Amino acid sequence: MKPNKRGRKTASTLLTATLAGTMLISACSNSGGNEKANESTGGEAASGGKASTLKVEVFDRGNSPAGSSITKNYLTQFVQDKFGTPNNINVQFVPIPRSEEVQKLNVLMASGSDVPDIVFTYDSGTFYRYAQQGGLTDLGELLDQYGPNLKKFLGDETLAYGQYEGKQFALPAKRSHLGKYSSFVRQDWLEKLSLPVPTTTDELYATLKAFKEKDPGQTGGKVIPLGMSLAPAQYEPLIWSFIEPVTDEQRYTLTQQLGSRDYPVLLPGFKEALQFMNKLYNEGLMSADFSLDEDKKKLNEDAAKGLVGFFSEDDMNPFYPDGLYATLQKNIPDAKLSAVDVYTNSEGKHPKPEYAPIGMFLMIPKSSQHAVEAIKYLDWMASEGNLFDMQNGVEGENYTLQDGVPIVKADAADEVKNRIYNYGDMAIISNGKQLGDADKNVEAYVVGMPEAFQEETRKALSVSRSDTIKPVLFDRPIEAQAKYGTALLDKFNEIIVKTTMVKPDQFESTFESVMKDYMANGGQAILDERTKAYEAMK
Amino acid sequence: MKGTAYLRRYWQLYALLILPVSYFIVFKYGPMYGILIAFKDFNFFQGINGSEWIGFDGFREVFAMPDFYKVLRNTLMLNFLDLIVSFPAPLFLAIMLYELKIVWFKKLSQTILYIPHFISWVIIGGIVYQVFGTQSGMINNIITSIGFDAIPFLTDKKDWLITYLVVGVWQSAGWGTIIYLAALTGINKELFEAADVDGAGRLRKIWSITLPSLKPTIVTLLIINLGHMIAIGFERPYIIGNTAVRDYADVLSTFVYRIGIESGQYTIATVVGLFQAIVGLVFVLGANYTSKKLADQSIL
Repeated sequence: MKPNKRGRKTASTLLTATLAGTMLISACSNSGGNEKANESTGGEAASGGKASTLKVEVFDRGNSPAGSSITKNYLTQFVQDKFGTPNNINVQFVPIPRSEEVQKLNVLMASGSDVPDIVFTYDSGTFYRYAQQGGLTDLGELLDQYGPNLKKFLGDETLAYGQYEGKQFALPAKRSHLGKYSSFVRQDWLEKLSLPVPTTTDELYATLKAFKEKDPGQTGGKVIPLGMSLAPAQYEPLIWSFIEPVTDEQRYTLTQQLGSRDYPVLLPGFKEALQFMNKLYNEGLMSADFSLDEDKKKLNEDAAKGLVGFFSEDDMNPFYPDGLYATLQKNIPDAKLSAVDVYTNSEGKHPKPEYAPIGMFLMIPKSSQHAVEAIKYLDWMASEGNLFDMQNGVEGENYTLQDGVPIVKADAADEVKNRIYNYGDMAIISNGKQLGDADKNVEAYVVGMPEAFQEETRKALSVSRSDTIKPVLFDRPIEAQAKYGTALLDKFNEIIVKTTMVKPDQFESTFESVMKDYMANGGQAILDERTKAYEAMK
Repeated sequence: MKGTAYLRRYWQLYALLILPVSYFIVFKYGPMYGILIAFKDFNFFQGINGSEWIGFDGFREVFAMPDFYKVLRNTLMLNFLDLIVSFPAPLFLAIMLYELKIVWFKKLSQTILYIPHFISWVIIGGIVYQVFGTQSGMINNIITSIGFDAIPFLTDKKDWLITYLVVGVWQSAGWGTIIYLAALTGINKELFEAADVDGAGRLRKIWSITLPSLKPTIVTLLIINLGHMIAIGFERPYIIGNTAVRDYADVLSTFVYRIGIESGQYTIATVVGLFQAIVGLVFVLGANYTSKKLADQSIL
């Protein structure tokens, strides 16, 4: 059964109903009352005797350990003791379910009165929409005045992503590790067939064929040489490796940003990538039901069962305790998974996308009367090792330092480990650990993995960081992308699915018709706007 | 004078009405205020009142969208096929159940037929995937093991249509029998006895007694169903559907969800919703009128 995907769908269904209802009710109450209500709570209460209240959003993943809750745990107490009490601020955390992040936030923002002072989202479209509709506080001056440490920590490159029409409407969190994807091959299968590790796309094709014909895993004909799904981690490395080297102008104008990713729909080589997928699919070298697998659940299941020979994935994903690799070894004790860099472009490189250097967009709603406190809070987090303490806990109890890299104490009591169970959601100014330089940051991830997998993790993390393609950033928002992005993402999936699954002799006509459909539903609008924006930027 | 006496006597009955009436006012009429969004350039932070009027611009934009016509066609197509396949199913089932004479067997069958109705679509989606999947689905495992090619029940759009309809019948037919069974209990038993005396067989009795007695019920349900031609539930097409069959599976409700909730274009979503409501009203009134003229049965 597929509880995850289906579960998300019910949640969304329910939300459709509730949101529609709430929107209306809240919209009615929105027009007049809330500004007055906010005034009375007082802005600069921190200077007076009465404590002011700062409300901060926090993701609720429903994983709070026993004895604590998402709004009351070690980290919330840490924040209150170290930041709140000394500044006479009462810090409250407002939980938002992780899976309905954007929808819930929309409802909160529309209500105006009840919205936290610091909200965030990973979705750039949502950020642009709020900024465009005038719902956010301009943080430029506040940052200069109250957030020098924060400004220094984030840096100009990161901050640029939070600007809308020249104004700093969001503070993007800083991302410590930009690599995204690595590929993985069943090393034991290669050894069994005395095959070399594939190093190019052509060699990969031969390897996949051998997996299919010789079935080294003795799966009884169920072998899936290439594990595929409809999630970016599986198709992006393949597709981007077919994209031809491009000029700056092509990169800016022909890339299409849908949601938070760049898509190479119009870049030269996209068609060849699809053609390759079509070939793999029709020769039975690829997951037959990949089009039904949007959350890679099925792929993970198949890979853990030992049916999959080769696949691409988020670089660290297979290595987590009780993750894919651990389950695979439980099922097939001598299974060996190797991180490899295979897909090759015309220049012999292994290009793959990397993350923008940002995490979540941190925003302060315009209706907030505590923007100053909010910036002070974030500035506090960026200064004097507070971020480090929030991410790593207590030295000697949670970790030991080794060459500046905190080594997690695996034998610590659960109670101690649980202190920082949601540090990623609490230390909102950073995505990943920040230890000064990229190699150390990566090493921190490596030492967090089970010891047996650390070597492969290190390899996967270096694969994901090599030959990467940076996301394209304009100095202005592309409105068509905000408007059509989500719908076009579905169209993009349709392009992949249809062109891959069609019989090879119908590939040409299918490709033409899906591309036409894509362009007519917003693709052309994005292309036009990007072309114009590029002209203006030159 | 007469009025007050009447009210004094029956006020409890009116008091009982308060709750249902306020339900309709709060949850059915209140939200109609939101229809205004269709005529405004809706801005989140300014609310409905604060947003600017744009007249029919939203409608113009919707009618210019190529996808709109596709989802409209799909909605009508799926509902029409459903009407042909799923509408008669409960009728047949109900008549068959009615003819059963062994009470415990009848009750058992009824329960088994009802159960799917109580299973959430989310779970049905999981079951469908396990049963109809191409690579690991139960049916295809059997098909391939006896040497045939797997049938892409979920990923080829024509095969998917059949899956969609079959699952719909499975889920709803049993529950749909309830209304018919209720109507059937109202048939005067003497009619059957008289028919027995006249030497009528089972089929003859069904044709000449059972079906005519069900006629008003059938017509009423048909009118209601026709009214729903343009409205389509969200869960079934969304959950049974997938990217490969979006050409058929994308319908008005999923379109509204995607545009409105996911992309935040509330104006467009409201326009589509309003359009749906108006066309739905025309369908109901039309079906009602036709049925009044042709069969002298109507619900209004």
